[in-house]
Amino acid sequence: MKWAQKLLLVDRRIIFLLVFLGALIPILSPIGLIVQVSPPVRAIFDRVERMQAGDAILLSFDYGPSDGPELDPMANAILRHCNKKGIKVLGISLFPLGGVDMAFARMADLTRDLGGQNGIDWVNLGYKDGGQAAMKLMGEDFTAVFPTDADGVPIEEIPLMQGIRNYGDLEMAISLATSVLGEWWINLVNAQFGIDVAVGSTAVSAPKYYAYVEAKQAIGVMGGMKGASEYEELVERAYPDLAGLSRTATVGMDVQSIVHLVIIFFIIFGNIMYVLTQRTRREGI
Amino acid sequence: MPVQLPGFGEWVAAFLTLAVFSFLYRDNVIYRVAESVFAGISFGYYVGLARINTLQPNLFEPLFGDFSNHWILIFPFVLGVMLYLRYVPKLAWISNWSLAIYIGYYIGVNLTQRLHGEILPQAKGTMLPLAGEPFGQILCNLVVIVGVVTVLVYFFFSSPHRGPLKVTAKLGIYFLMISFGASFGYTVMGRISLLIGRLTFVVNDWARPVVQSVIGS
Amino acid sequence: MKRQVPILLAIAASLYPVIAFFFPARGINTFNQGLDEWMVIIASFALLLGIISMIQVNLAKVRRRAKGWIFSVLTLLAFAVMASFGIFGGQGETVLADGSTRLEPFTWVFQFMYSPLQSTMFSLLAFYVASASYRAFRVRNIEATLLLIGAVIIMIGRIPLGKLVFPFIPEVAEWIMKYPNAAAQRGVIIGAALGAAAMSIRVMVGIERPYLGKS
Repeated sequence: MKWAQKLLLVDRRIIFLLVFLGALIPILSPIGLIVQVSPPVRAIFDRVERMQAGDAILLSFDYGPSDGPELDPMANAILRHCNKKGIKVLGISLFPLGGVDMAFARMADLTRDLGGQNGIDWVNLGYKDGGQAAMKLMGEDFTAVFPTDADGVPIEEIPLMQGIRNYGDLEMAISLATSVLGEWWINLVNAQFGIDVAVGSTAVSAPKYYAYVEAKQAIGVMGGMKGASEYEELVERAYPDLAGLSRTATVGMDVQSIVHLVIIFFIIFGNIMYVLTQRTRREGI
Repeated sequence: MPVQLPGFGEWVAAFLTLAVFSFLYRDNVIYRVAESVFAGISFGYYVGLARINTLQPNLFEPLFGDFSNHWILIFPFVLGVMLYLRYVPKLAWISNWSLAIYIGYYIGVNLTQRLHGEILPQAKGTMLPLAGEPFGQILCNLVVIVGVVTVLVYFFFSSPHRGPLKVTAKLGIYFLMISFGASFGYTVMGRISLLIGRLTFVVNDWARPVVQSVIGS
Repeated sequence: MKRQVPILLAIAASLYPVIAFFFPARGINTFNQGLDEWMVIIASFALLLGIISMIQVNLAKVRRRAKGWIFSVLTLLAFAVMASFGIFGGQGETVLADGSTRLEPFTWVFQFMYSPLQSTMFSLLAFYVASASYRAFRVRNIEATLLLIGAVIIMIGRIPLGKLVFPFIPEVAEWIMKYPNAAAQRGVIIGAALGAAAMSIRVMVGIERPYLGKS
């Protein structure tokens, strides 16, 4: 069937246009679909929810701008959750391509939305090279890795850091990670220092973390924009006064819904056209 | 309420975004300019990042500010500089000394990480009970055990996959295909997320305020 | 000396973290901690190694007036400006005398140039994954069929619309992730970890010498 052959060879810019429209229309006119929460995300939320005011967590911004749409909403949701609970947040970054600046931006969002003071409620210790070397060293002494924070203030002068020497003084570490950094938090920091670890990963890496969660090496995993929208949902259910704040991942899931259906259509339609062209070829022989 | 026009930064960001998107139509000069600027900024970013976040607070300030207590930092300083001797043909062999220490250290860390942090806990996580649990859970545990073993058998290439080994490896491939399908589904979600981020910026942070200020809200 | 010394250094540097892991005595730990501190600094120097290659390649293109040399000039210019901001300036925000804040030039370029450029480059993949799904995803055999079934269930199960269409599908998707997917991923993790551990041991005993390069 020649029309099936022609459809299979359609200019790919038409496919691009359909994807573009599939993404644009829900942005212009949001649908407002409800998000379902999965157990691995709930596990992270529950762990943070069980903490007391004054406890401290480590939040590692191990991602860059290209992962922002997936991991920024996670960061915002976790920071808001910690702010409501009075939990102190140590922000660091071990990812060279923009982690420290993502941390700056998210801390600024928190300050704008809910107040909170640098050095008292949260601190951005900045980026450090070395990967595993830095992770190991933080197990002994934070000051050996971060003598100052990202603004150059000596760590001894930061009120939040009083009484926090190493992982033993923290309740958990959450890594918002692209690439292998999330795995290193699990197979090095959790394995060798015993601190509870949770990972917020990009969607591409999320399937792998299920193996770690099932082996109890990680408390839970938030996978991609879906995971971010689930954590946003849990925070807003628990703290309805946060309802007016942006929920970029939840809004993004509307778009995901439409474009996913577009791509599933492409897969099925492409295979139907392929079968038809194969049949034509066999009949022609 | 008056509409706030996007600032200069937002205009620059919007222009660069559209310049890269223009590649979808076809390769063009504007895209190539954006690509070249991106490459240059990336490398420049590394320089500033390393200087501000690591070299300044962890090396230069302690070494030159309090030499008597931190004189030992001369060693990593020298080892770091030695790495750059690879660009001097006659002295390139010296950089191998520094590289050997650097690579050797991470090899040692990696070994304990893999054995202690991956192989043992993952093997432990596979030793699941097949009795004393609800029947549904036993079936699920069986799926995990069979899945892990058959996938490992598939990756065992020291013997040819014949007879029982072939059947086991085949089952391993089926488990891998289900997992890759799940990965594909998540990958699609991940790629679309990136598009959502960019379109949201272009529409909500740039185009909408501009259009509203031109035609009135 | 040019070959033996690096091999001995690599063996010593790789053995030490392993010894410190198994024998966490005070003296061993102190030196191990020192080694960790050194590596943070050396990693910083290593991160910048590629920059010299980039400068060499682009300068050569400009000198030769190779095709597209003007873009190499742009790259070098952008690098010089950003590197200058990073070397002579700070990061984040500065508080001015009147109490207002201003972004440091280094952070401004990151936020309004680097960030949109990188994000948009990666967002192009959304279009290519759609195009590839239409043109290349073919159900030719059992393996491809399983891949397709897994992909479709996850894609529908992970979107809010999925529950409206098939009420049970989110639970099915979660089951697939938690059991067959986790099992396969675990097999891959263990296999890869065994391979990496074997490679590490080869370097530790001096059989593999990646630090010696072509020599």
